[in-house]
Amino acid sequence: MAKQNQFEQLDKLLDVILSRPRGSMPRVKGTLGTFARVFPPLLDLPSPDFRSRLKADLQRRALMASKPTVAREIRQTATAYLIVNNAAAAIEFYKNAFGAVEVMRLDGPGPRIGHAEIRVGNSSIYLADEFPEYGVRGPQSFGGSPVTINLEVEDVDAFAAKAVAAGATVARPIQDQFYGERSGKFADPFGYTWNISTHTEDLTGQEMQRRMDAMKQEGDPSSSAAPATPKVNFIRKGFTTLTPYLVLQDAAGAIDFLKSTFAAEEVFRDIGSAGGIHCEVRVGDSMMMIGGGGPAVSWKGESRPMPFHVYVKDTDAAYRRALDAGATTLYEPADMPYGERSSGVKDASGNFWYIATARGDSYKSLGAPTVQPYMHPRRAEPVMRFLKQAFGAVNLGQHADAEGVVHHATIAIGDSHLELGEAQGPYQPMPGMFYLYVPDADAMYRSALAAGATSLYEPNDMPYGDRVGGVKDPFGNEWCIATHFKDMTP
Amino acid sequence: MKDSKIEADDRLLVEAAQQDPSRFAELYELNFDVVYAFVVRQTRDRDAAQDITSEVFHDALANLGSFEWRGIPFLAWLLRIASNAVADHFHRSARNRRVAELDERLEVQLANLTTDILTNWDPYARVFRSVKELPDDQRRVVEMRFAEEKSIGEIARTIGRSEGAVKQLQFRALQTLRDALAFKPAQKPQGKASKKSGGRNG
Repeated sequence: MAKQNQFEQLDKLLDVILSRPRGSMPRVKGTLGTFARVFPPLLDLPSPDFRSRLKADLQRRALMASKPTVAREIRQTATAYLIVNNAAAAIEFYKNAFGAVEVMRLDGPGPRIGHAEIRVGNSSIYLADEFPEYGVRGPQSFGGSPVTINLEVEDVDAFAAKAVAAGATVARPIQDQFYGERSGKFADPFGYTWNISTHTEDLTGQEMQRRMDAMKQEGDPSSSAAPATPKVNFIRKGFTTLTPYLVLQDAAGAIDFLKSTFAAEEVFRDIGSAGGIHCEVRVGDSMMMIGGGGPAVSWKGESRPMPFHVYVKDTDAAYRRALDAGATTLYEPADMPYGERSSGVKDASGNFWYIATARGDSYKSLGAPTVQPYMHPRRAEPVMRFLKQAFGAVNLGQHADAEGVVHHATIAIGDSHLELGEAQGPYQPMPGMFYLYVPDADAMYRSALAAGATSLYEPNDMPYGDRVGGVKDPFGNEWCIATHFKDMTP
Repeated sequence: MKDSKIEADDRLLVEAAQQDPSRFAELYELNFDVVYAFVVRQTRDRDAAQDITSEVFHDALANLGSFEWRGIPFLAWLLRIASNAVADHFHRSARNRRVAELDERLEVQLANLTTDILTNWDPYARVFRSVKELPDDQRRVVEMRFAEEKSIGEIARTIGRSEGAVKQLQFRALQTLRDALAFKPAQKPQGKASKKSGGRNG
């Protein structure tokens, strides 16, 4: 009892000391008085975060100051210098995909990386963020890069499998090549293409030439050995890896809302196989699909509204347009601590729109598309694990609080982004539908089932030129896993 | 006194870090508490002290090559950098008179003290070091209560204990810290003098 009392008394005294201005100590007598010398230092106790952060800073600085003995051994004459949109994410991706090691980075100017060096195998590669103000731009600003970088590895199949799991996409499948290599081409999410190869045969140049000439004859258009189907990109023209697919009872109303609020452009509209609207709209640089009911449409079904993060040039104006178009407010425009001015609305169909304008050079956050679908799962970790296992998603960075609640995470699937924030308050799970373009729909369909999804329908060739399989993930989201195989004339 | 074992160890560590900067982390761990204590006692402001401490260690790492072993402890060198950094800080806030006095006093002290004394004389540094050595649950309570200025209720929720339990952990922790401060001159010399007892009598 007396002990209990001591704990309480000391705590009351601490409340008094902590609430007073620094340096004014109450006089204390008795047992508590023996603690008096401990209080002043404790009031100045360094934060544990600071101690470890400074240590990490110093270690990184020290690493950069270390004598470059390793670098000297691998010194090379020519080094690729990759400009990318979001160098920090690219470094993370190359670590996961190629087993790259970060050698150094120079932060800034601003939140960007001015220069970084990574090592892949025995080679150095340099990287930096885009600095459009100095004319420094990456492939995504030019619609792609004409340069392919070759990675010669011990085991191309194993190496490439890891790269694909990390989010690389197959540009040309691995096969044995006439020039004595087994190789394939892979696109990374940052606009670069990598030829990954393993040397299989020692050949003279003469022999290679002979084989190539022989192939040329076989491949003559008049020859029957010509491939039966012309090659097309597995992603339909104008689309990216991931497209959100809104299914709504009033699809027509939602399309109108998108047009009046976000200046969406209707690219395609038809009545789909299920008797409902199928519509494709472009919002900024992003595509969205909207399906379901509308005037004079027979389709009946449940709405599946979804949350979205949309970048606009002027949040306040878009917010007013949304309200004029019948939306209700979730939160009014305000400056957010993460560098965006943001507002939130709920449209008449129940979709949530987080309308944001980034501060800085661009109204969009570095590397982000105009529209990013959002998820509000109860817990982020199982969802991220599923997306990684099923689709090779990569976590580009997350923000969690001290209690481990994930408030925000950005996930990359192929060349697309998805955002995630654990459910709280009005932001509860809203399982949605996604249209996912992958190099091999059958393989990805099986991969999704292996990761815990259930089948909705097996992959089938559709009349619109996509082979599509459907799965439902353990969190209620539906995924149309598609490979485009034939371009159709609209 | 200057050729004590501590000084010899100190020298080895500094030379190792001069050869291989990645070993600077060891010097950082050894000296953080004293440098931070020295700075925070003058600034009386946690944020400013953290900024200055960061500056001091970054400076020290950058200039480690120029540190020459002349029998003056490495810690004395660090504290001189710290003293200049604090002076800069106060110059910026126009309170330079006080710092000038401090500076002279420090020069005299630094020239004559051993690593052992420099490490142990400051009760603030002793408290900071002792906090690090507390059992984990007690340390978390102290860090949250004082450095993060959280209420007992918040701490209880964070570590999943009752408020009563948190107050008890807090009491035990402060008892340990109080005892670490109460200087006990070597009562029973056990072969070698302990590191701590060297402080005041050294």
